Amino acid sequence: MKQALYIFITFLMLVACTESVSDARQEASQPRIYPDYLGVTIPVNIAPLNFCMADEQALCMDAVITDRHGNSLHSQGEESVDFDIDDWHTLLAQNRGDSLSVTVSAKYADGWHTYRPFSICISPDSIDYGICYRLIEPGYEVWSKMGIYERDLSSFDERALIENTQFEGCVNCHSFNRGNPADMSLHIRGPHGATLLRQNNSPIVAYNTKTDQTLGLCVYPYWHPSGHYVAYSTNTTRQLFHSADRNRIEVFDEASDLQVYDVEKNELLLSPLVKQDSIYETFPVFSADGRSIYFCAARALPEGSHALDSIRYNLCRIDFDPVTGNFGDRIETIIDAEAQHKSVSFPRPSYDGRFLCYTLSDYGQFSIWHHEADLYLLDLATGESRPMTGANSDDTESFHNWSTNSRWLVLSSRRDDSLFTRPYFCHVDTKGHVTKAFMLPQRNPRRFYRDRFFSFNVPDFVIGPTHFDGRKASRLINDEFRKDFGVRKNPTL
Amino acid sequence: MKRVTILHSAFTILFGVAVLLFFGLAYPHHLHYQEQYQLFLFDSTYVWDVVRLPGGVADLLGRFCTQFFLYAWVGAFIIALLLSAVQLLTLRLASAFTGQTAESARGWLYGLSFVPSFLLWLFLLDEHALLGGVWAVLLTQLALWACLQIPKGWKRYVAMIIAIAILYWMAFGGSHYYRYPTVVPTLLYAAWLSAIVLPIIIWLLHRVKKSDNIQQQNNSLTSYLSPLTSFALVALVMGSLVWKNANLKAEKVMAYDFMACHQQWNRILETVNAEKPNNQIGVTVQNLALAMRGMLVDHLFDYNQNGILGLLPDVQSDATSPMPTAEAFYQLGMIYVAQRTVYEAQEAILDFQKSGRCYKRLAQTNLINGNYEVARKYLTALQKTLFYRDWANETLPLLGNEEAIAKHPEYGRLRQCAYDEDFYFSDHVTPEMLESLFFSNTDNRLAFDYLRAYYMLTNDRDSYARLLLRLQTDTK
Repeated sequence: MKQALYIFITFLMLVACTESVSDARQEASQPRIYPDYLGVTIPVNIAPLNFCMADEQALCMDAVITDRHGNSLHSQGEESVDFDIDDWHTLLAQNRGDSLSVTVSAKYADGWHTYRPFSICISPDSIDYGICYRLIEPGYEVWSKMGIYERDLSSFDERALIENTQFEGCVNCHSFNRGNPADMSLHIRGPHGATLLRQNNSPIVAYNTKTDQTLGLCVYPYWHPSGHYVAYSTNTTRQLFHSADRNRIEVFDEASDLQVYDVEKNELLLSPLVKQDSIYETFPVFSADGRSIYFCAARALPEGSHALDSIRYNLCRIDFDPVTGNFGDRIETIIDAEAQHKSVSFPRPSYDGRFLCYTLSDYGQFSIWHHEADLYLLDLATGESRPMTGANSDDTESFHNWSTNSRWLVLSSRRDDSLFTRPYFCHVDTKGHVTKAFMLPQRNPRRFYRDRFFSFNVPDFVIGPTHFDGRKASRLINDEFRKDFGVRKNPTL
Repeated sequence: MKRVTILHSAFTILFGVAVLLFFGLAYPHHLHYQEQYQLFLFDSTYVWDVVRLPGGVADLLGRFCTQFFLYAWVGAFIIALLLSAVQLLTLRLASAFTGQTAESARGWLYGLSFVPSFLLWLFLLDEHALLGGVWAVLLTQLALWACLQIPKGWKRYVAMIIAIAILYWMAFGGSHYYRYPTVVPTLLYAAWLSAIVLPIIIWLLHRVKKSDNIQQQNNSLTSYLSPLTSFALVALVMGSLVWKNANLKAEKVMAYDFMACHQQWNRILETVNAEKPNNQIGVTVQNLALAMRGMLVDHLFDYNQNGILGLLPDVQSDATSPMPTAEAFYQLGMIYVAQRTVYEAQEAILDFQKSGRCYKRLAQTNLINGNYEVARKYLTALQKTLFYRDWANETLPLLGNEEAIAKHPEYGRLRQCAYDEDFYFSDHVTPEMLESLFFSNTDNRLAFDYLRAYYMLTNDRDSYARLLLRLQTDTK
């Protein structure tokens, strides 16, 4: 039905604005379009990059995409151009590894203007089926409608996995095993709190992750490549508001620890090394080979101190034995961010083991509220770290993750308006060259992003539809039964 | 027969006028309350998002009408119209069942046709009852009435089956007729049921009465007296139920909120002088009005106080109570605090709707803070409304225009009141926050008055004295 409505609207738009570009004034500059797709590199299977003129004075706009073989694609519209999806995919498939030239004309009150063409590069590397994200309004302590959604990246189709209209509470921290939704974890908070776990496509089970030996509920999940373990942190989180800073709010931990959950044995694996009172440990992730855990660690503040700008997280690593489930006996500091008066958050190793992408901000770990936060790329072979200039902007870059082929990165950014988080994508080649990030395409981007008051939270790749039965899940959530997490008895503790 | 028709029309009009006067005079701020917790947008995406759900058409019609509640008398008129329509349709349905015209008085049964409307009136007394519920009843009656216009036979049955399917989408399947998603609106369902069942009962009783030669009665005095008596009886019983169940205490609280929202400081002072408020919102608004008129410190104890909770209460996680406090934060120049409070209040709206009042304030606070793109987002949404459009159109040109903002009587002043120093705050306003605000701009008289009032309410003479001393030192 919605599709039919779009077709009808498109038809109306076509009727409303179909004229040839005539007597156009040739502009020396490239067009200012929204989203900014000038010179971007895109995967061959991405949805059409529809765009609008950045200003809203244009009465009509026209775009012609051409390749080196004489093929072309044309679209015209009042508000935005809307390329035919099949023709778009055909053109991209014909130009894999090559580039396209886009000529944009816009009609203003004084007539047509044709701008200098810009190029779009088609990477030979494809991108995963889709992304999964939470849509939430940027509130602080109270929440309104939210949900977890999946979006097919080759089209504009979006589907809700679960929404909080189906139960009373909040939903967050969706996590998949290298994008494979057969293994997935999801948290529900509120009166019906639970962690939903699905392993190897088996039925979902609702867990109570709080134990008497851990700080609280499990947070920030990351799957082990084998699917046997999930690394979690437990965090005692608080928030305070700024009175006059560009960053409005600080979300910080007063305590945090790490643990690994053995899915098959229903046991939490603990280690005193990652459970220190004097250290905040958070954001655990397994290395590509599953033999290490990277995490962020900061020296804890003295009790009662609010010197939040002195909490600086380093990137650390500890060994992990996937056979026994034992932690290593020493912690290695990989990036000493504290020494640079910076702080690391959201480490995400590429699945090929080449790189680790992380967010660097001035302090703290909740980088989405830090306008200065940027993405950095650590070369795991050389240990060198550098800013991902192509992907970064003047505003916040925060959560991110890799596609399964480790060539694409999805990142959340607030560059659009400094508040509402949008998903962007950039290509990272084997040498670590990062291309300019492009925004998640929409049928009518301005209408979509301007009219929607949601932030895209924790965008992460999925290799196929999640086949998540939201109704069944909500029945589980509304049911009182929760399976308790067990804890492995460890003589060293 | 004609006289009976006139009599019936008179009863309907009488009922409609009673509804109009009730909502216009006794319940206007309940209507304002309803309006401020929804945002009707003239936008295809918004309309589609509402109507695609079961019950969506009734919900949309309800939302459409509720936007007019910004003007209480218009809202009261709409409700009067809808409830009168329900009564008339109940009567029509009874007529359609009996196969006679509505004018052929049902005698003493006539009064029953008012029962669904009275039940809906009772339902609407609750500030969380949504107008979509009334539309759901009305649409059901209309569909049934349309089906009954079709001659008896298979065509009627087919039409009824189709009508049920359509009605499920338009009205039946809806759950958004009450703001609390988990609460079953019993009164609404009772009204809904009665709107269908009562015509059937009338029909059944009419069949019994038919044998008594009812036609004879139509020519006698009884044909006037019986509908009059039945109407009077129903009106008396149900009318008293309405009055008894009207939450006039909440109406007073809502009145304070409304006056604060519209910055009617003199009206607030007149109201508190007539009857001193004894609820937290009322006291907060009273103190704000006193401060806005420069009377807070001198007249603080002339009025009821609730400690510092009556001055700047802690922010609660509901949609209503933070709004007057947010107004005080805003007027004081604590723009970040005001913004955060309004964000939270809007997020707390139980049925996940948005608020025109909140959008407006969020646009203003973002404008003052220089977050023009975020302000633009809210203003663009408000451009799609009926009653906030003009304001949005006037405000949009200010974005990025530093000179115009500086000259603006409200935004310019509030920008100058902004905090110089950064510190952390949470849900509780401290005197240090007010002190920092005042010493960021000592022209901020409101902050000075609030700070002094804070010390007076906590009986903190030392701090009061220190404040005056610091002021003297700083001024020198």
